[in-house]
Amino acid sequence: MIENNSTLQLEVAELMVQALNLDTAVAEIDPDAPLYGDGLGLDSIDILEVALVISKRYGLQLKADSEDNHRIFSSLRNLTDYVATHKTK
Amino acid sequence: MLMLRIMSWISLRLGRRVARSVLHLIAAYFVLFAPDNRRASLNYLPRALGRPATWLDLYRHFFCFAATIHDRIYLINRRYDLFDIDIQGKENIHPLIDAGKGVLLMGAHLGSFEVMRAIGRQLPGLRVAMVMHEDNAQKINSMLAAINPEASMDIIPLGRIDSMLQVQERLGDGMLVGMLSDRTLGNEPMAQVNLLGATAALPTGPFRMAALLRRPVVFMVGLYMGDNRYQIHFETLADFSETPRGQRDQAVEMAIARYTELLNRYTRLAPYNWFNFFDYWQSVPASLNEKNE
Repeated sequence: MIENNSTLQLEVAELMVQALNLDTAVAEIDPDAPLYGDGLGLDSIDILEVALVISKRYGLQLKADSEDNHRIFSSLRNLTDYVATHKTK
Repeated sequence: MLMLRIMSWISLRLGRRVARSVLHLIAAYFVLFAPDNRRASLNYLPRALGRPATWLDLYRHFFCFAATIHDRIYLINRRYDLFDIDIQGKENIHPLIDAGKGVLLMGAHLGSFEVMRAIGRQLPGLRVAMVMHEDNAQKINSMLAAINPEASMDIIPLGRIDSMLQVQERLGDGMLVGMLSDRTLGNEPMAQVNLLGATAALPTGPFRMAALLRRPVVFMVGLYMGDNRYQIHFETLADFSETPRGQRDQAVEMAIARYTELLNRYTRLAPYNWFNFFDYWQSVPASLNEKNE
């Protein structure tokens, strides 16, 4: 499971970097740094873009429920965990 | 809010004519004693009028602002009978509403926002949500509560991690989502445009968002035309429904150009309706700290 997740984590990071044209290399993203605001410095439109790409790629729904989203987008690690448990493809 | 309740009482009990005499005092006060607003107005008016601004122009500008704010009291209380509202460009929005896939409405701090909301409430089954900064959202909702507790507004607050996910969800439900796209929240990418003959900056965020969400965008404006007359215009702005990823940036640029074209057209058509009382052409418009909502 842990091994799968680290592969998945790289994949999710890759999707993010591609979707947002980030200058950061995939390997340089701190899995525990916040994605929104400080940390990776994404704004809510970036978060939307990530959500759209992730939803499409893994066949899952990201809903506008504030508390959950703060947890899901708090870091690459948490986002990966969410994808791992909710993905349908 | 006490002042607002008192003003609201005068307006509703003594009538629009009596209450409007107070507005002339307010406009005169601004012309004489609000140098910041006066400076902003003098910076804007000659560009829209195409000639130097006079004291009378200044007075008209402030009166127009006061009048639209005052008329909100009646509109919020559903006194549509008092107004002569002319709607133009319905054909630009009705088919999109009927399609039921959600539409983005983009306005500006130009004219009356409440008169557009009034129209929305008259169409059965049509639901509109507004995207705005949280501070403004709180201000507006406490104002609505003071004037008419039943007149609530569906607001999507900006600056949250999932602000845009909420927009997506509302659109998915077939709702109309509106926003005023002429001011920035600060610290976001801006596009330089030619507005009324000089360079100004517009935030690109709203247009990027529309492109990501792949939705049609309709421009809307509710202009105050004097006395009890309002003119609402709907104009096609962009349609990102079929825009492929690779062409997104280009489509966003085109949408910003079209938005600028419409701002140019309607500021010239109704010059006193521009309610950005800060130096729009020089600094990055730091709207949030402005006194004028």
